Amino acid sequence: MIEQIFVNGLLASLIYVIMALGFTLIFGIMRIVNFAHGEFYMMGAVVVLFLFGNLGWPFFIAAAAGGIITAALGVILERVLFRPLVGDELSGMIMSLAVGIILQSLVLISFGPAEQSMARPFSGTWSFFSAVVPWDRTVVALCAVVILAVFYLFLKYSRTGLAMQAVAQDPQTSSLMGIESGAIYLAAFGIACLLAGLAGGLMAPVYTVGPYMGELPMLKAFVVVILGGLGSIPGAVMGGLLIGLSESVLTTFLGSTAALIASFVIVLLVVITRPTGLMGRSAR
Amino acid sequence: MKPVHIYLVIAVLALLPWTLDSQYVFHIATMIAIMIPMALGMNLMLKIGQLSMAQPAFMGIGAYGSALLAIRLGLPPMLALCLSGILAAVIATIVGPVFLRIKGVYFVLLTYAFGQIINLVFQEWTSLFGGNNGLYGIPKFSIFDLRLTAVQHYYIFGLVFAAIAYAAMRAIERSDIGAIYQSLNENEMLSRSIGSNALAWRIAAFTISAFTAGISGGIYAFYIGFLSPDAFGFRLSVDLIVINAIGGAHSVLGPLLGAILVVPLPEVLRDARQYQLLIYGLCLMVFLIFIRKGLVSLIQRQRKSA
Repeated sequence: MIEQIFVNGLLASLIYVIMALGFTLIFGIMRIVNFAHGEFYMMGAVVVLFLFGNLGWPFFIAAAAGGIITAALGVILERVLFRPLVGDELSGMIMSLAVGIILQSLVLISFGPAEQSMARPFSGTWSFFSAVVPWDRTVVALCAVVILAVFYLFLKYSRTGLAMQAVAQDPQTSSLMGIESGAIYLAAFGIACLLAGLAGGLMAPVYTVGPYMGELPMLKAFVVVILGGLGSIPGAVMGGLLIGLSESVLTTFLGSTAALIASFVIVLLVVITRPTGLMGRSAR
Repeated sequence: MKPVHIYLVIAVLALLPWTLDSQYVFHIATMIAIMIPMALGMNLMLKIGQLSMAQPAFMGIGAYGSALLAIRLGLPPMLALCLSGILAAVIATIVGPVFLRIKGVYFVLLTYAFGQIINLVFQEWTSLFGGNNGLYGIPKFSIFDLRLTAVQHYYIFGLVFAAIAYAAMRAIERSDIGAIYQSLNENEMLSRSIGSNALAWRIAAFTISAFTAGISGGIYAFYIGFLSPDAFGFRLSVDLIVINAIGGAHSVLGPLLGAILVVPLPEVLRDARQYQLLIYGLCLMVFLIFIRKGLVSLIQRQRKSA
């Protein structure tokens, strides 16, 4: 029982972490609360539905394509729509609402409102102590761990990654040091979309694909990110694990809606007592 | 265009349903009238520099409160409506001191979480709120012996409340209080140094916006006669933001024009239901890029050049 709760929580939290990382990256660097993040998740899933489900491409190639196509979309949107609004928190937020609405409606127009499913690339289960673990969730979890590791190494060692951290910490000083903020915005938005697209692509066969599928992951990313502190990358990882595990416990004992209410209450309490989240820096 | 002319146009629009005399047009007009005070409440919050996602929750509290007081306790609708408006305001006064200490994005997230919790309670507490199946059997509104049955009655009722709300918000904007809000928004430190109690003024704005939303919700409940939680969800917050963005948030006229323009949009596009969302999103985008200050700024610009 305990092992099962733990495994369920861990499997769920890895996807939350990936969603939350992208969300927090965009906020940390551009100061935009991206309400369209769930729709980027959906785009990844839609690409996998088309390439893997309809055309029969290998699953991993389809998932990678989902991430890359979403990233390309993100880069274009950033350059055309979001860049002019940098520095204006409210307008940026409203623009992301507009982008989310448009992406949702485009999928609604082309695929219809019905949820669609596809054949699972992996089936069966294996057992971890007394816990039963489905193989498809295991594959998603393993991929998520690899993505997290690559993302960590990128931030820690690549020039772009270091520049991103510098901009997130102090945009003025970093621009004095010769970091070009435009390129960093583009990279941050692209990477955030890549993460969301990959998450959506990987999860596509596990759940169904439809125009409204991004809303719940978006909500979760939101909760995780407030809990961990907006703009904080360690915060996103910690918040994701915390929400994933606590949700698994609460869902088992109280049911899924009660778990959702509970996670909101936790967030309310955290923000009230520590307005910038558990790992957030002081408010500007 | 002079302001007088704008009000003339609005007055003509308000009378328009009678010349067309169709139930359907009256319904849309009534929905606009109900949404105007909501949009004005959102506008007041934007004036103090806080984007509140809690407005739908307060509307829901007003709506469910009015309905339940009238159904369960058999209170006269007039009393139920006033009490539930006050209930929304009281809740805002209780949570306000905590919420309004927090600024910017975190305030948005906090009010969003608050709204979600309230909505989940409406969904889950089935025995009281009827859950996702909805709450039925709400009696028609009555003012003493006068029962409001037809849509025309609710239209007039909504219109009167919208006009009162508009006049009140405009009075706030033009009074010293409006000046205090502006100074708090522009330079809080300076404003506090000359003695304005920033938090108290913000709580006052939050409470007023909750009261307006609560009354709007009550009128909606009596008019529609049935309530379900999804009417008071995230989508409504988005609508209020869109109305303010398209109309123009820096003037009270903005949300008024925005509501007149945005509320009928889904109805106009009824035959192309799947394109509704798309056009909605595109409108929002166009306004954000090209007309940042909304319709009102277009009118003002024209006035200046004339």
